[in-house]
Amino acid sequence: MHIPDGIISASAAIGGYAATGGLTWLSLRRIKKQYDNARNEIPRAALLTAAFFVASLIHIPLPPVSVHLVLSGLIGIMLGWFSFPAILVGLLLQAVMFQHGGLTTLGINACLMGIPALLAYYIFRLRILFGREKPFPNGLFAFTASFAAIALGATMAAFLLVYATPAYFDAAAERQAVIALSLAHLPVALIEGVFTAMVVLFLLKVKPTLLDGDRP
Amino acid sequence: MFNITPAVKIRLLTFILAALLFLPAGTAFAHGVEIEYTERAAIEITARYDTGGPLAGAQVAVFAPGKPAEPWLTGVCDDFGKFYFVPDPQIQGLWEVQVRLAGHGGLIRIETGESSVAPQAAVGYSTAQKAMMAAAVIWGLVGTAFFFSRRRV
Repeated sequence: MHIPDGIISASAAIGGYAATGGLTWLSLRRIKKQYDNARNEIPRAALLTAAFFVASLIHIPLPPVSVHLVLSGLIGIMLGWFSFPAILVGLLLQAVMFQHGGLTTLGINACLMGIPALLAYYIFRLRILFGREKPFPNGLFAFTASFAAIALGATMAAFLLVYATPAYFDAAAERQAVIALSLAHLPVALIEGVFTAMVVLFLLKVKPTLLDGDRP
Repeated sequence: MFNITPAVKIRLLTFILAALLFLPAGTAFAHGVEIEYTERAAIEITARYDTGGPLAGAQVAVFAPGKPAEPWLTGVCDDFGKFYFVPDPQIQGLWEVQVRLAGHGGLIRIETGESSVAPQAAVGYSTAQKAMMAAAVIWGLVGTAFFFSRRRV
């Protein structure tokens, strides 16, 4: 899901930065509105940024491709509007340290992972309708939110890659490869869905306040 | 009408026979093959994921120096993620090779010409370096968490 430098056109990269700029501004505004003292939330955001940073280093080989955990769903559920800036920082560190992604594509990548995280946050909030103390709706919505986050990210990336294939490459072959890679994200979505549901059920028992969906 | 005498017939036959004799000779001549060889420096590209797996079937575009818009050559990596090409010795400078497979890929720059040094084989870190870097980043983030969760006096 990390798009490296030199794959998409300059206009797409600039568009990505513009969208990321707008979403970061929106996130910070929402954070200011939502929290009395946003500083108190920074430790949680920092720790989940660390988790996000490490998750992408864990590769799952699914021949012929290799995919890795993204954790965008879990981050969205636990951080709410903090998730977008957290993912942006995590992506910057990945790009600078490991050339995973790229600096020109930082904006695009932040959108590809940050927007699904926000979607996951809102899907998870729906559990309130079914009773926030009950484990079943919590687990179910955590799984759905995380699964949807990966599916949305992979779909957005696939559309972008197919749309942005330069004319000198064989578009049909590239499309086929992109479809194969997108399908390879299906097991990732399942694994992350189960993992997120387990984490959420654990936190529900131990410290329910950590789940951002509990906030009004 | 035409009256073909035996003498004309023989002459015609001789001509046809002669023509047939020459025809196979001409065809046989065209089958002659000359093989020459010239030693040229080829460039081998190996495209791997950072996990070590090859980018089998990845598409490759080679750009000649100073012409970044139109590829000089396009091709496909083999099963081992390898791709070979022979740059035109007349064109010296910075060649660019782009590799792409389902959004994975990148660009490598190869200097050719007299002033060129041996091309850089790979960019990457060892596992130990990566682990160290990851640990440094994690410590930075955990440190941030500690800093903001400290008790205020």
